[in-house]
Amino acid sequence: MSLVAAAAPAGPRAAGFARRIGVRLATLLAVAFAWEGLVLLLGIRPFYLPRLSAVLAAILATPGAYASGFLRTLTETLIGFVAGGAFGVAVAVAFLRLRTLREMVFPLFVVSQTIPVIAFGALVVLWFGNTLMAKAVIAFYLTFFPVTVNALIGLEAVDPRQIALMRSFGASPRQILLRLQLPSALPQTFVALRLAASLSLVGAIVGEWFGDTTGLGVLLLQAMYTENVVAIWAALLVSAFLGTGFYAAVAFVERRLVFWGAEQ
Amino acid sequence: MPSHPDHLAGVWHIRCRDPPIAAGAQACQRRPSLYKNPKGRLLRAMVRDQDDAPTAVPEPEPLIELRGVAKTFGPVKALSGLSARVGRGEFVTVVGPSGCGKSTLFNIVAGLEEPDPGGALRFEGKSCHAAELLGRVSFMPQRDLLLPWRNVIDNATLALEIEGRPRKAARAEALRMLPEFGLAGFEAQYPHQLSGGMRQRVALMRTFLFERDLMLLDEPFGALDALTRTLMQRWLLDVWQRHRRTILFITHDVDEAIFLGDRVLVMTARPGAVKLEQRIDLPRPRRPDLVTAPDFIRLKRTLLEAIEEESLKSFQTAEERTR
Repeated sequence: MSLVAAAAPAGPRAAGFARRIGVRLATLLAVAFAWEGLVLLLGIRPFYLPRLSAVLAAILATPGAYASGFLRTLTETLIGFVAGGAFGVAVAVAFLRLRTLREMVFPLFVVSQTIPVIAFGALVVLWFGNTLMAKAVIAFYLTFFPVTVNALIGLEAVDPRQIALMRSFGASPRQILLRLQLPSALPQTFVALRLAASLSLVGAIVGEWFGDTTGLGVLLLQAMYTENVVAIWAALLVSAFLGTGFYAAVAFVERRLVFWGAEQ
Repeated sequence: MPSHPDHLAGVWHIRCRDPPIAAGAQACQRRPSLYKNPKGRLLRAMVRDQDDAPTAVPEPEPLIELRGVAKTFGPVKALSGLSARVGRGEFVTVVGPSGCGKSTLFNIVAGLEEPDPGGALRFEGKSCHAAELLGRVSFMPQRDLLLPWRNVIDNATLALEIEGRPRKAARAEALRMLPEFGLAGFEAQYPHQLSGGMRQRVALMRTFLFERDLMLLDEPFGALDALTRTLMQRWLLDVWQRHRRTILFITHDVDEAIFLGDRVLVMTARPGAVKLEQRIDLPRPRRPDLVTAPDFIRLKRTLLEAIEEESLKSFQTAEERTR
């Protein structure tokens, strides 16, 4: 769909975009009203599910804490995501070129991924201290593996006839990589990047649980210790906002970059 | 599409086998071309042409020559003792039963595959390894293999970009060529927005823009419907006559092979070699009704017999193997 849209004048495309946003906003509003209404109607106790208005009020009461927490967690997530994505693609290219390296290192990667992130998190905090870097490293750790695997699948799926054609033009391996293999692997890589968008947020929040003073994970932990149910829901809501926002941003970039779809 | 100047020239058709720089004194020749006349006269002209063919048509200097070339893939002998030569400016077509190693032959000439040691491969008069041909032959594989993220112009200039030609100059050159390839106004379209025939023309344009003396076309029209295919054949001849490249063209369609070629090579069943080499002395420019001319039919019969024999052979070996 976006293929045709790419070349078509902006009119219908913008209209379609506005319509999609409208539908989503309407859905969101419906859920909000259902939340508020059902809690009131069924008399659910705030301990189980506070009213949405109460949660929003809690956020608005101390907006600074949530805003700085949001920004901090976003930074950790972004650093981990970008580093993990870049490392993942780089490793996939190295694995594609060097079979022996792949046979040696790939099993280690798999083993590394079987270690629960919680166990690994303790180590990272020991090494990096309670710094922003420590959280970014955990986000990175959760991110790079799916990107490596998917980018490698994408790189290996390139039509050998296409490579032969490039070679017949006298293309160097580097030209083949940049002009053919990497773009061909983009659709498959983005499958992993969308997954990595959620995973890097998980990594950042889990990282914060090992100790810090700001961040959404910290807010969540504090609320849990004080059994402040409204605050738990507030932290959750902001995390959800961050998560969906980030995912949507990645999906948006994907639609722009991979406009040709999964052709061939 | 602008018609070939010879259309206007009338009876005498100047035929130049060599590009101007390399042209030897005897390379240009005049021969009668009576395509505008009724069939009776056409036939007489043909007969005379054939009579004096050995003396009047000098062998053009071979651009590429293969002698006793063989290629094995594990237990499979794809080519064995294949010898062929293609002269400068010649249009040579290759037909043969499926699986006869036509594509292997092409991969060798394109530099993608090294032949088994023993045979000889000569390009521009010098013997060479196949790998040395990479970047020196413009190769068009069966499928258009357009890059879906590049629009028409960027797909067409891909080879120039790899050569390191400045982007602007390459684009300007491609833009000039668009109308000739029936793609004017389509420069910003992406491959998925084009029809099969147009995609093929973009691929052909990519091949033409990569200016090399030898062009290899591997069943470029194989995937097109019959009508588009005949249009494309005529169009290709038109473009070829204006650009004067040397073309080696694979097809499994005998009509196509005769209609396009100066010479047709019929390949044997696997292991592939040249079974028959047939000169096609039909006048150029070739018109669509040529396919019903008696001379055309006669050539077709000869070629079909040869192919039939080989197809039968490969069919029988396949049967024996299953038994």
